[in-house]
Amino acid sequence: MLDAPLPRVPVETPSGSAPPLLTAVSRQGDPRLAAAELADALRHESLGFVLFFCSAEYPLAALSAALDEAFDGVPVAGCTTAGEISPQGYERGCIVAIGLDRRDFAVSCALVEDLEGFDLLRAQGLVEGLLEECRRRAVAPLGEHSFALTLLDGLSSCEEQVLATLDAALGRIPSFGGSAGDDNRLAHTHVHAGRRFHDQAAVVVMINTRLPFEVFTTHHLRPRTEKLVVTRADRERRRVLELNAVPAAEEYARLVGLPVAALEAAVFARHPLAVRIGEQHFVRSIQRVNDDGSLDFYCAVENGIVLTAMEPAPLLDDLAGVLGGLTQRLGEPSLVIGCDCFLRRLELESLARVEEASRLLSRARVVGFNTYGEQHHGMHINQTFTGVAIGPRPTP
Amino acid sequence: MACTSTRPSPALPLDLARPPELPADASEQERALAEENARLRRICAALMERVESGGMAGGAPYGAFEHSVLLAEQVRERTETLQRTLEALRRAKAEAEAANHSKTRFLAAVSHDLLQPLNAARLFTSALDTHPLPEASQRLVGNIGRSLKDVESLLGTLVDISRLDAGVLEPDIAPFPVATLLDTLAEEYRQMAAARGLELRYVPSGAVVESDLALLARVVRNFLTNAIRYTESGRVLLGCRRRPEGLEILVGDTGPGIPEAQREEIFLEFRRAGARRDSPDRGLGLGLAIVDRIAGMLGHPVRLASRPGHGSLFSLRVPYGRLATSRPAATVNRSGEDRVLAGRRVWVIDDDPGICEGMVALLEGWGCRAHAAATPARLAGEGPPDVLLVDYHLEAGLDGLEVAAGLREAWPDLPVVVITANHDAVLTSRARALGYGCLLKPLKPLRLRMMLTTLLGPALAPPGGQR
Repeated sequence: MLDAPLPRVPVETPSGSAPPLLTAVSRQGDPRLAAAELADALRHESLGFVLFFCSAEYPLAALSAALDEAFDGVPVAGCTTAGEISPQGYERGCIVAIGLDRRDFAVSCALVEDLEGFDLLRAQGLVEGLLEECRRRAVAPLGEHSFALTLLDGLSSCEEQVLATLDAALGRIPSFGGSAGDDNRLAHTHVHAGRRFHDQAAVVVMINTRLPFEVFTTHHLRPRTEKLVVTRADRERRRVLELNAVPAAEEYARLVGLPVAALEAAVFARHPLAVRIGEQHFVRSIQRVNDDGSLDFYCAVENGIVLTAMEPAPLLDDLAGVLGGLTQRLGEPSLVIGCDCFLRRLELESLARVEEASRLLSRARVVGFNTYGEQHHGMHINQTFTGVAIGPRPTP
Repeated sequence: MACTSTRPSPALPLDLARPPELPADASEQERALAEENARLRRICAALMERVESGGMAGGAPYGAFEHSVLLAEQVRERTETLQRTLEALRRAKAEAEAANHSKTRFLAAVSHDLLQPLNAARLFTSALDTHPLPEASQRLVGNIGRSLKDVESLLGTLVDISRLDAGVLEPDIAPFPVATLLDTLAEEYRQMAAARGLELRYVPSGAVVESDLALLARVVRNFLTNAIRYTESGRVLLGCRRRPEGLEILVGDTGPGIPEAQREEIFLEFRRAGARRDSPDRGLGLGLAIVDRIAGMLGHPVRLASRPGHGSLFSLRVPYGRLATSRPAATVNRSGEDRVLAGRRVWVIDDDPGICEGMVALLEGWGCRAHAAATPARLAGEGPPDVLLVDYHLEAGLDGLEVAAGLREAWPDLPVVVITANHDAVLTSRARALGYGCLLKPLKPLRLRMMLTTLLGPALAPPGGQR
């Protein structure tokens, strides 16, 4: 005898019919033309924030100015990359950008310039400032409906402490991010905030949204039995001088069955090393071989840590599984922001699977960049695909 | 006493700091072993350094990473536990809700099925009342009427309390002049009070309040019923007091009062303070329990002041409201009423033949020309209606609003009254949005008459009408 529910009257949502997130790519080499092309695709009256990832080949000062002009007051943050992921998949030498609608997202952004001096007190001040700014325009309860995106200068060697400190201040707000790259030149990586690029700096973007989301990380590497103990290290430079009490490069070359001279990034990608903590393995990626037979890493190293040799399982199977799971939990995503280690891309390139990967990424609506390291819940990690999947706009 | 042996091991003493010396004439194999031994010592030393520095995160970058991993692991474990707990809670909640929902549906079904014949019986007695009858029969008809009314109010109370508990009763908040409610109640209870030798004093108020009219009426009715029930002699007062926070609606009496110790207890179910033993008391003691629930739901604070032996004062504070557009209060005097209704054609659509018959008898008693059927099609031969009374629940999945909409296509200004057993604010507000009147079952003849008078009254009165 209860009434039938009222017929559903179509309700005009505050966001109208425009998608909550717009993406754009520009392959123009000229910064002004590139910025104009992006602005053309992203600008609308409710555009609240722009995230971008660009090739390090752009003249950065000119690009900052051009973006500032093109987006005319809309805040912009981003970083340089070791390759971009556009709506069409893997690219190089371009700029990809994401426009966030302020009716679905409240965004605030801060720059950390003094990474060495970033202590808990400063981290708390920073997080409070970000939350306060979001609160004024919040579109959903701040505590449960926000996440933080971190973009770090990938050659700063400060990621671990900065992240651990920031994570303590963020409390239960999930965070993820990537370290800026420079197309494998290992010379200059930059983050952008406040109308210009910075090095030795970090950008923290707080994003509050009424859309469902999930921060995730995955890798496709499985442990083998061989173990290497770091017997001499220079922690300041993230350098391992000796493994198992012999020169590091020599011991690693013996492990992978190649001469030292053949060691290069593609080899590091296929034969990673990881530390095991509890039941989990965390890859510690090798950056380069030095002339003195030492190895530089993308992350902190220490005397006495035990490295486990790892081997890859099929990368795309793992990625497809993870992206499928996200769709199952959140619904068809509006967007996935992906921080994809450049070593994964090298592996795909050496296996000639880049196009296949691009199709998968494009289908799953991934936009992002290739990193020199990823960040997940305060951990600095390597050789992973880490990001956030943002679900569809909830139906009223 | 146990003694710990410190006997040297049968192997070589393991001096990690100093490598063993190799004899000058060592073989190739011995040299290789010595070299491996040296490396193992270095590895051992590195591991010892690491183990011994463990836990001293002290700013070391790798330490910070390790710390983050451990923290993340703890968070993950706790989140998992929390999620399992939440999932269990969610399941339990869903089960409880399903059980509650089925209980509510059952109650709604039972009450609807009970109210239907009761409604018909009430209509018949009302109709019978208008016939010229010998005095003895008249008295009997009156008694039947009162008994039916009591059954109806008991049933209503039981249904209400179950609906309140199930949380399915949604308040329908709107601004209205408090007088529209209190004038009617005063009129109704003045006679009841007089029948028991009590005087009802009513002080009208011009205030506008914001509340659910029907629920608020239940609360005030409960106060009034109690006041009359428990007061042996003297007066019952109905009035208002303007407070800064809202309008206080007061019901006072000169009854026995309520001892301090009982003042909380009386708001529980099935509790009654010493009722008059001689009174034909038909209450279940649910009245104040309902008051408490409704007041809680509406957020109107209830107050009780009492002096044993002198009387009690119950009050309810209601927020002030503002009327959207000022409407002249349509006051109708009784003498005008009959002229308004006389000769008007009323269509009654109800799928219960008993109800149809009862309604026709009642309406004809008021001088209307009434036609009743299960569907409008069956009335096609009758003259065009002046007003439509339609049951919300019709057979074959048809609802009263659809029927009304269909007839309004032919007669766009046709006044409509929807009658329903469903005490659901959604339906009421839908009807109101369409400009329809809405009456709840069991239908009270007086209410129906007032509504018809209003709908057919001044604005629509035929030319030449006196008002």
